[in-house]
Amino acid sequence: MNFKIRRAAKEDCKDISRMIMDLAIYEKMPDQVKISHEELERDGFCQNPLFECLVAEVPEEHKSNEGFTVIGYALYFYTYSTWKGRAVYLEDLYVMPEFRGNGIGTALLSKVAEIGKKKQCVRLQLSVLNWNTPSRDFYAAKGAQDLTVTEGWHAIRFDGQNLDNLANEAPKD
Amino acid sequence: MMAADAIFVYVQELAEYEKLAEHVKVTQKDLEQDGFSKNPFFHGIIAEVPEQHKTKEGHTKIGYALYFYSYSSWSGRAIYMEDLYVMPEFRGKGVGKALMSKVAQLALAAGCHQLNFTVLDWNKPSMDFYLSQGSFDITASMGYHCMRCEGEALEHLAQP
Repeated sequence: MNFKIRRAAKEDCKDISRMIMDLAIYEKMPDQVKISHEELERDGFCQNPLFECLVAEVPEEHKSNEGFTVIGYALYFYTYSTWKGRAVYLEDLYVMPEFRGNGIGTALLSKVAEIGKKKQCVRLQLSVLNWNTPSRDFYAAKGAQDLTVTEGWHAIRFDGQNLDNLANEAPKD
Repeated sequence: MMAADAIFVYVQELAEYEKLAEHVKVTQKDLEQDGFSKNPFFHGIIAEVPEQHKTKEGHTKIGYALYFYSYSSWSGRAIYMEDLYVMPEFRGKGVGKALMSKVAQLALAAGCHQLNFTVLDWNKPSMDFYLSQGSFDITASMGYHCMRCEGEALEHLAQP
């Protein structure tokens, strides 16, 4: 299948937002999506963007059933390991179901790795839900290690009221 | 610059505690370059005690938190706390809590909706501390697994 991987432009944010919701539905947590294309436009396309994004595009003649030509995306940002240095975190990787099996996911992932490498990143990290076998298999086949299984790392989060409460306890300057 | 050398010492001490000391490849120079340039890859805060409480070796900088901004495609801007460390002789005095609360305060001031980090499952003191402060374990409760690609696997992936 003929497809192109390119950097997302501000105009792609509506498509990216659509696919973020599709991914959240797949992950069984659609009610967790609180931001829309407006936040993506503001946060990804300002002077100091908080993330970068790639999109996968097909020509008109291969558009999806609903008429979309932007049919996949990878959203990522730069992080830091105090042990190894610069790293890239892959927040989302998604290809619309009807376009899977054509190497588009692999192409997106490889492009993120290539971009990271140019910035001297030595790691690419992401998280996967433990029941998401197709994704776990996909990443394992690419050489990713599951650090939760091999080293016992657990992801911990403060949000909502708990985050507010914690912040209120900070010492005064 | 002084902060980078203190952070470097504590990064190594924390790695020793986590039994993964041989994994530390970053140098003090890397920390200076990556944390204290125009577009830093990370930010740090330090806990300091007055001269009269300094350690046996003479340190007054006795703890640190290192963090950076991240992004959730579901909730927007977030903070990731990469390290939180207090020297053993200064624990149990609220220093860790103060550092973490300060990171949370900075997170809210920057418009972040989440403070994320990772803990080793056998590290009971840390796990208990974080859970008692109101965080939740999204690996245990939601099934998120942390994945990593590095070394040869990453090289291979990055081939155009």
